[in-house]
Amino acid sequence: MMTYIVFILSIIFVIGFVGFSSKPSPIYGGLVLIVSGAVGCGIVLSFGGSFLGLMVFLIYLGGMLVVFGYTTAMATEQYPEVWVSNKAVLGAFIVGLLSELLLACYVLKDDEVDVVFGFNGMGDWVIYDTGDSGFFSEEAMGIAALYSYGTWLVVVTGWSLFIGVLVIMEITRGT
Amino acid sequence: MKPLTYITIMTTMMSGTMIVLMSSHWLMIWIGFEMNMLAFIPILMKNFNPRTMEASTKYFLTQATASMLLMLGITINLMLSGQWTVLKPSNLTSSSLMTIALAMKLGMSPFHFWVPEVTQGTSLPSGMILLTWQKIAPLSILYQIAPSINSGLLATMAIASVLVGGWGGLNQTQLRKILAYSSITHMGWMAIIMMYNPTLTLLNLAIYITMTLGTFMLFIHNSSTTTLSLSHTWNKLPLMTSMILMLMLSLGGLPPLSGFVPKWMIIQELTKNDMIILPMFMAMSALLNLHFYMRLSYTTTLTMFPSTNNMKMKWQFESMKKTVLLPPLIILSTMLLPVTPMMIILD
Repeated sequence: MMTYIVFILSIIFVIGFVGFSSKPSPIYGGLVLIVSGAVGCGIVLSFGGSFLGLMVFLIYLGGMLVVFGYTTAMATEQYPEVWVSNKAVLGAFIVGLLSELLLACYVLKDDEVDVVFGFNGMGDWVIYDTGDSGFFSEEAMGIAALYSYGTWLVVVTGWSLFIGVLVIMEITRGT
Repeated sequence: MKPLTYITIMTTMMSGTMIVLMSSHWLMIWIGFEMNMLAFIPILMKNFNPRTMEASTKYFLTQATASMLLMLGITINLMLSGQWTVLKPSNLTSSSLMTIALAMKLGMSPFHFWVPEVTQGTSLPSGMILLTWQKIAPLSILYQIAPSINSGLLATMAIASVLVGGWGGLNQTQLRKILAYSSITHMGWMAIIMMYNPTLTLLNLAIYITMTLGTFMLFIHNSSTTTLSLSHTWNKLPLMTSMILMLMLSLGGLPPLSGFVPKWMIIQELTKNDMIILPMFMAMSALLNLHFYMRLSYTTTLTMFPSTNNMKMKWQFESMKKTVLLPPLIILSTMLLPVTPMMIILD
């Protein structure tokens, strides 16, 4: 039964890739990309990677759906109307930034919260032993290790995501 | 491109290479490659036109394929050995996959087709970064896994690169394509010595980067991308014409110039390892390269392209362009042979 499911999912996967690479309008390309991404998550799920499949489906595809909707909205309206004037938006942005900074200072003041700012996971090899993980599959432990020791890895991946968006903006906006 | 965006992208590109160089974890190495590749796309597309778009698409597709192959090699290595360290990958499959992936990133012979296309499609400064800085990261990883590389595979790719690099550049009139083919040849020379003395790979890389930087900066200074426009140099910058001759001969590897250092030492090292036919074949293929370098220096330096009488006075006008890096680069890329013993520093 599982073999058949994976087989059918794989066929949809490949057809999806053919679909978005055969150059219809970009918006259908994006749609088919999302579909084949979801099917890919299904394949990972079928092989037992429940956590990985769910994570990719929720975060990657959820994020992609948001970007998809956002760009579609952007494409339909050249000069979108905002809630209030530009200055008010800028003021709200600055207020938000300042309060975030204050919060960071507050967290930093007492050294107990070492998880958020403990940027010391560099230069050492750590064996993250979890023992028996019980009902969970083992991939969830990787996330725990990532947030315990791989803080710099999180920084690098976050920066890469930001750069990804920046690069896409830069090369699609034209001259 | 806005200056802030440009700085951000440039920093990411460089830190990607740095992460590759400094990491001891395969995942971080892969992330570094991806960062570098992603940030290099807008640099290729700095002048926004269909040619640069095509070039950056080709670059993206080949580099993404190579990254995927590298990840496959890493995963197989992880599956069989259970560790992420960049020690030598112990099994043949993963080390061959990694070698092929890195050769693809470097533009070595069976996977070399993208190099001339991408270099020709982009602007001179971007091409300069493509042919120099972008070679550092894959070569460093190749250097690190050198003991476990299947020597037959690497040697085949190296010989093919030397031959193709010489052969492909023969009838070209476009300077960027000529330099791209010259890059393919140099990659072949770097790869062939990887199995016997990886230090010489670093030496060859250092000298290759110096020579290519010098040549590209000279072309940028002239704003010339064709042999024809280069042959108009003699009435604008008479001194530059002789410098082009020296640089071209150095790229070809003629004895008193610094391009001869790596060729000399590589041939010596191969001969010491009882290989006679291989270095002879490579030296013979280097003649192909030498032919098109000679052709370039012949049209530029040894002939005076016909022009009207007014044009002959152009050298009197001073050029306003600053050439801060050009003189040291030309000196380094031509006169380094006497200090060859100093290069033990690389060991």
